Amino acid sequence: MSRPSDLVQGTLDLLLLKILALEPMNGYAVSLRLKQVSGEVLQVSDGSLYPALHKLEQEGWITAEWKPTENNRRAKFYSLTRLGKKQLEKESANWSRLSDAISNIVKLKEA
Amino acid sequence: MHPKHWFYTLPLRLRSLFRRDHVEHELSEELQFHLEQKTQEYLASGLTLDEARRKAQREFGGIELSKENCRDTRRVSYLQDLMQDLRFGVRMLRKSPGFTFIAVLTLALGIGANTAIFSMVNSFLLKPLPVKDPEQITVLAFQLKKGPLQNNFSIPELEDLQAQTTSVFSDVIGDLYGAGGLTVNGKTEPIYVYFVTGNYFIGLDVKPYLGRFILPSEGSPTALSPVVVLGYNYWKTRFAGDPSVVGKTVAFDGHPVTVIGVTPKEFHGLYSMADMQGYMPLNIEQVDSAYDRTTPVNRELRSVFVYARLLPGVSINAAQSALDVIASRFAAQNPKSEEGMTLAVYPERFSRPNPDPDKTILKIATLFLILAGLVLILACVNVANFLLVRATARQREMAIRSALGGTRGRLIRQLLTESIVLALCGGIGGVFLGLAGSSALSSIRLQTTLPVLIDFQFDWRVFGYALSVALLTGLIVGTVPALRASGRNMIEVIREGGRSMSGGRSRLRSALVVIQVGGSLMLLIVAGLMVRSLSYAQRSDLGFDPRNVLNLSLDPNGIGYDKEKGLRFYKELLERIDNLPGVESSSAAFTVPFGYFNDNDFLEVPGYEVPQGTTVPSAGFNMVSPGYFRTLHIPLLEGRDFTNADQEDTQWVAIINEAMAKRFWPNGSALGHEFRIAGDRVHSLRVVGVVKNSKSVSMMGLVREYFYVPFAQQYTSMATVQVRTTFPPETLVTSIREQVTATAPTMPISEVRPMLQALYTVNGLLLFQFAAGLTGCLGLLGLILAIVGVFGVISFTVSQRTQEIGIRMAMGAGQGSILKMILRQGILIVFAGLAVGVLLALGMASLVEDFVTGISPYDPLTYISVSTMLVLVALFACYVPARRATRVDPMIALRYE
Repeated sequence: MSRPSDLVQGTLDLLLLKILALEPMNGYAVSLRLKQVSGEVLQVSDGSLYPALHKLEQEGWITAEWKPTENNRRAKFYSLTRLGKKQLEKESANWSRLSDAISNIVKLKEA
Repeated sequence: MHPKHWFYTLPLRLRSLFRRDHVEHELSEELQFHLEQKTQEYLASGLTLDEARRKAQREFGGIELSKENCRDTRRVSYLQDLMQDLRFGVRMLRKSPGFTFIAVLTLALGIGANTAIFSMVNSFLLKPLPVKDPEQITVLAFQLKKGPLQNNFSIPELEDLQAQTTSVFSDVIGDLYGAGGLTVNGKTEPIYVYFVTGNYFIGLDVKPYLGRFILPSEGSPTALSPVVVLGYNYWKTRFAGDPSVVGKTVAFDGHPVTVIGVTPKEFHGLYSMADMQGYMPLNIEQVDSAYDRTTPVNRELRSVFVYARLLPGVSINAAQSALDVIASRFAAQNPKSEEGMTLAVYPERFSRPNPDPDKTILKIATLFLILAGLVLILACVNVANFLLVRATARQREMAIRSALGGTRGRLIRQLLTESIVLALCGGIGGVFLGLAGSSALSSIRLQTTLPVLIDFQFDWRVFGYALSVALLTGLIVGTVPALRASGRNMIEVIREGGRSMSGGRSRLRSALVVIQVGGSLMLLIVAGLMVRSLSYAQRSDLGFDPRNVLNLSLDPNGIGYDKEKGLRFYKELLERIDNLPGVESSSAAFTVPFGYFNDNDFLEVPGYEVPQGTTVPSAGFNMVSPGYFRTLHIPLLEGRDFTNADQEDTQWVAIINEAMAKRFWPNGSALGHEFRIAGDRVHSLRVVGVVKNSKSVSMMGLVREYFYVPFAQQYTSMATVQVRTTFPPETLVTSIREQVTATAPTMPISEVRPMLQALYTVNGLLLFQFAAGLTGCLGLLGLILAIVGVFGVISFTVSQRTQEIGIRMAMGAGQGSILKMILRQGILIVFAGLAVGVLLALGMASLVEDFVTGISPYDPLTYISVSTMLVLVALFACYVPARRATRVDPMIALRYE
């Protein structure tokens, strides 16, 4: 599966879970939100967004429902499951640990 | 996967599998929505519709690639591949129906043989008793001074056991086998019953099908409770399943008893081989005229089988320790009857039909499962060989598949799926063949009117066994060909055009056929030993002459005759029969040689010192009427026969066999000496005659000590009248039956059969016949499979080498040298197989030894003759294709491609 090369493995999962934890939304809205929150730093092509979402769905972390949008178009809305919430906590904790460790290393001054 | 996951993911997987179109449609719609939204976005920013659409698509990237990546997340590709493989496999098998038929048939034979034998093992060793918590049920047994293991206790012993084992057993129950006559509406028919302790049904925790069961208050050995519980099958046949029978009064041996209930259908009593017809309280036995009044207090009158239910959580070892303590207490308190007693407890499941420290049934089961397993291996080898041939033929297909992107794992999976489909078809065929085989096995006739239960019915265990055998078979036969077919360098194969054959493959196939020849030789040797053993047993000198003797079983007690009336009946009947034309002589006896009723008891012989370290002497005995030895042609060596003057009130007498005379009175004549039967404190038996040894208890081994007592002194109501005829005995059946009716009009006759036929009992020839028949069938199957294997491998060689043979012949090789070249391979295979087979058979010898009589398990004649036969047949199987090779026309062979 093609992934954005500058995204650490698993990080996309974490981002998607976090975004969906705020409110249920459809794939298009997710792509907008991703761009919005991360600016242009994290580039996730639309083509790899959907496989990532489907993977989360197959893992049982998010679940999908077809609902009408504000302007009455049928769209697939994703929301977090109970398992997804747990997974989000786990991955957030992992991420914090990892980023702390990395930033500590980066901040090391030459002796 | 975590089980909670399933809740979310299972519906998704199922949807992906079974609503594939729907899921695909949703995928398109979702992506379409995204594109439309994007387009709207760009439209709003001022682009034209066309530009907006194009930009949206460009930004998205490859739509089809994205879709494919989405599909990949569905995790069902394995299953979809499997379905595809299955469809393809079935199509491939249908494309070559001949191959499929032979392969499926071969596997079906192998699996069928295994399934049939497993159904037998299942019934003997695996099927639990149809009671609550059957694993808690145990069988108790004892030994006296390391003598034979016995499981019949006396009533006082049973009561002591009940009182003293409450720390390990929740219930100790007993049953005593009995036969009698049940009179319903004036008609009497034999019935086989258990006299049971009052806690029998409660201890087993069985619920009645109808009415109620015997209560603890009804089983006491002293108080009479005239009630009977009917066995389900007996109730179905005798009472046509009439539910109003509960409460009805019938007569057992002429005494009124009330029917109180019916057992459930699956319950047959605790003896694994009998379907008991009725259950009565233990005390009812006392109504029998022949009942010994001392039974409830006599510790040496042992006839009750004792079973116990372990308390929850108590292990069999704990129970055994408790019994060890009790046994030493028994021995100390009752030195006369229980000196040197040891008690043993066995799980019920491993004590069928009787507790047996030698584990005979387990040994038989092992032997036959090994033999059947071998047949299956031979079948597998054949099918694996077929598949190897096909794999060679399909190399091009495989090469093309892998060139088109099929990975090796994927190709192996496809080939394995095919072989498993094949094996499952074989498994289905095997179950049907197994059902047929199993019903043939259970139609075995035990030569008795006892309600025999041989229930080899297929339950989930048998089906599970067949299924796992089939799956395993599929994997085994498929693995090697799959690895080989997929492993070759495709470019090489395509270039070769699938023509060449590397030596390695042929060596593998030859090795497989060597195993086949060896395996089938072993099967045949075992079968040969069994057949020789049967024929030895059939021809061996039994010490009596079974030809021209007719047996007729009667029980006057069944219509209420007491001892006096019974004796008068037998005397009159024998006189009448003696007067019939064609009758030489007739007599009555309790035990028929090799029959199912045997008496055996401990002896007290004044003047005989029991040698140190041996057990109390015991001997088998039989109650016979005057003329018994004349009728059976057993020579009287010394003394006299019984006469009508030997009555209950005259001196009790006995006629002993040579073995007994030699053991107790080795010096001088035994005549005039006296001895006692341990259970009888009153009478001393005086030896009045010595007869030649004759076999009556077992075909195997030497004749043991045995004696005969007059029918009139130790009366048994149930007896078999034996008639020595000058005509074929079958011709006299009608006239003898008439004489029974003339003597006593309502007397039921339970069985009539010639003595020669009556030899085929479990104690007699039956097991030899059974073993010979079964191993013979397996041996024949193995032989056929091996012949197919040899024929197949040589034919294949010939077809692969056709071109080479053509060249050789074109260069001037003669037919003889071609024949020799091909045959050499065959001869190597056959003789290597011979060596393997002989080694295998020698390895089995110790297991086979227990089942043969009269010959050694290393019997050279069997080994040589069977090997010779196999070699001849196998060489013929080589010769046919080899001969075909010599007929090759060089011109055609060279063009052959």
